[in-house]
Amino acid sequence: MREAIEKLVRRMPLSFRVLYRQFLLRVIDLEALSIEADVPRFLGQFAGILLMYSLIRTVGGFFLFQIHPPTTPADLQMLSWTFDQQFIWTTMLVVGLIAVVSWDNVFPDRRDAMVLSPLPVRPVTILSAKVAASCAVIGIAIVSLNIAAGISWPLMLSGFAGAIRFIPAYWFTLVAASAFLYGSILTIQGFAALLPRRYFLRLSATLQLCAFGGFLAAFFLLPYLTTTDSFLLAANRSMITWAPPYWFFALFNQLNGSLPRELEWMAWRGWAALGFAMAGAGAALFSCYTRTMRRTIEEPDLLPARRGAGWSLPFAPALQKAILPFSLRSIVRSRHHRVACAFYLAIVFSIALSMLHAEWTSAAARTLSPDFLIPTYMMVVFSIFGLRAVFALPVSLTANWVWRITQLNPSPKYAGATRATLFAFAVVPVLVIVGALSYPITPAYQAGEHLLVLAILGLIGIEVALFGFYKVPFTCSYLPGKVNIQFIFWGGLVVFTAIAITAAQFEVGVLGHPWQFAVTVVGLGAVAAALWGYNFYRARSAVLYFEELPEDVIITLKIGSIYNAE
Amino acid sequence: MLELQNVSKLFAGIPAVENVSFTARAGEVTGYLGPNGSGKSTTIKMITGLIDMTLGHILFDGRPIHDDLISYKRRMGYVPEEPYLYNHLSGAEYLTMVAQLRDLPERESAERINGMLRLLGLYDDRHASISGYSKGMRQKVLIIAALIHNPELILLDEPFSGLDVSSALVLRSLIKELAARGKVVLFSSHELDTVERISDRVVIIHRAKLVADDSIEHLRTLMALPNLEAIFSQLAVDRDTESAAGQIADLINA
Repeated sequence: MREAIEKLVRRMPLSFRVLYRQFLLRVIDLEALSIEADVPRFLGQFAGILLMYSLIRTVGGFFLFQIHPPTTPADLQMLSWTFDQQFIWTTMLVVGLIAVVSWDNVFPDRRDAMVLSPLPVRPVTILSAKVAASCAVIGIAIVSLNIAAGISWPLMLSGFAGAIRFIPAYWFTLVAASAFLYGSILTIQGFAALLPRRYFLRLSATLQLCAFGGFLAAFFLLPYLTTTDSFLLAANRSMITWAPPYWFFALFNQLNGSLPRELEWMAWRGWAALGFAMAGAGAALFSCYTRTMRRTIEEPDLLPARRGAGWSLPFAPALQKAILPFSLRSIVRSRHHRVACAFYLAIVFSIALSMLHAEWTSAAARTLSPDFLIPTYMMVVFSIFGLRAVFALPVSLTANWVWRITQLNPSPKYAGATRATLFAFAVVPVLVIVGALSYPITPAYQAGEHLLVLAILGLIGIEVALFGFYKVPFTCSYLPGKVNIQFIFWGGLVVFTAIAITAAQFEVGVLGHPWQFAVTVVGLGAVAAALWGYNFYRARSAVLYFEELPEDVIITLKIGSIYNAE
Repeated sequence: MLELQNVSKLFAGIPAVENVSFTARAGEVTGYLGPNGSGKSTTIKMITGLIDMTLGHILFDGRPIHDDLISYKRRMGYVPEEPYLYNHLSGAEYLTMVAQLRDLPERESAERINGMLRLLGLYDDRHASISGYSKGMRQKVLIIAALIHNPELILLDEPFSGLDVSSALVLRSLIKELAARGKVVLFSSHELDTVERISDRVVIIHRAKLVADDSIEHLRTLMALPNLEAIFSQLAVDRDTESAAGQIADLINA
């Protein structure tokens, strides 16, 4: 197999192979990386997270299957349909996110055009290498995400004989759903690229964010329908008519021979959507080949602006006046940062949407309960730590010299400006959203009390996020792999869930009691103040850094310092 | 007065600057010359405090700069060799940010920024994104950012790079004017003609070592050479340039 692949690769033109390798490594922004960064390792980590997810789901499913084995065909169908939908939804989400993250890498950009046009490389080779690199990353993601569950679950659900049909149908569906999603994005971008380039760039950025929000919202909000009857409910009709994940679920069952006749139309919708997306993607690539690549060089990216938004923060220290607008402009204007930020904000908004959905559909009295409080904690945590992660991605390493040259203030002032920026961009929006969602809650003062608690929790979260963060947002190089993301993610999830449940129950208990509430607020305030003091003390002796470096391999025991002290 | 005393910088044991000593005085323009890779930019980066020296001392007004780097930075303006700026900001936004980072009063800095933008012909494009700026426009932004706080020490690394003729002439006069007003000006350039016209003295570095530090007039007399180009060729150019050009042409034809 390996020999066959190598033989196939050797048959490709050398220019294609060279470009393919380059484009594959450019899935992430190389200019943002630390000099020590290892891109293949980073891609390996990304695949590792998906693989871990697949393994956890497989093992979890196996135990569930052993503890509650389906006793009736209806139970088995319910379990099977849940599994099918979970994995189709997740695969589509991951592919959608990859498509959004590599949004600008699909078509050759100005840099590609400027560098490669003078060389004797055919445009079709450049385009093919781009598409091949994107497809390779998506392929890695699909395989990593489904490798464990995509084989073991079919065997559990349908036995060895059934798996012979189940497995090919399942993998084909995943590829088809991914191709539909990726093809749709190519089509949309292809049509948008027909506009003058400067308008295309603006529209493209908006479309990217909309796509991002759409994928996440669909993943969080589309329910799993596990019976034929639920598909036939009038209330679900418009949802299944317009939500593509259901079409591909039906397509899978059609291929597997398990689709009820009443749902055949959904499968045909899936086939039609796949056909349209492929045709659209083909047209978009052809259009890019014939028109867009030339126009990329000929047309300017930007028009000189006649007016600028000259705003400043009144009463803020000069450093905050510099750092806060710089951070805002970096998030809003840099594509990479906008997408990274949108990822976390989309999660926050999805949680908000699901809470809103629960409020609309609930007939119960609207009082504060753990069901309401826990999602608000999640929102504030995702928002703070998401933005903190985005802050670690630099905008332009080469331009950082200006911060060093103008470093006229001690480190705690920079930390203070970062703290204010985090509060303004991460905590305030969540407080506004939660405030709006709390509108129907009675008694109203309890909603206000919860907002106060949430604000203090936000301050605590910010101080925790700022441990060791002695850098200006968006200025330090990024070193993928420095943090053990698997450990942080899964560990954080477990710890957070436990704390959130306990905290929500406690908060519900104290909200109606003024003295208990006051003591709680004072206690939380003291924690926030203590953490602030700790960070301030540490920042005083810290040096701002602009280059992320790996930890030393050799650990110093500092034995010499003991002798010196003596 | 800026004073370098036996300054050396080693990268992985290899000297980029070796035992360099010279003085740049207030009221004078000091030209700093050397071929590519000779250590010019490394020296200037050490003077800015961007990189640390391995050995030696750098003093400004008699005090080592590292004794109080923050006060020193307040008094220093720097134009780097490459016009690296934040592309997602506009020219006006970038300059305002630099003024804020330097703790300058808002109204005063706005007046200075707008005034300099007008005088350098960048005012109409001040709200356009820097990503759309030409190299010359970026260079103008860097020059304004370096002068916005009225520094006493001005370090210019290839300041004429990319500038149009008119702006280059303005900058040339500006450098002389600033020196005449008592600033310490140290600038490096490959444009020997410009250096010869505006510098009071030149420092030439070659293969990390200082090879000349004198007034141009004195060097001319001492070496019996007609101009700075001839002096530079003799001190810092190792090879026969015409022969090298011929060899390159032969190589292409081979």
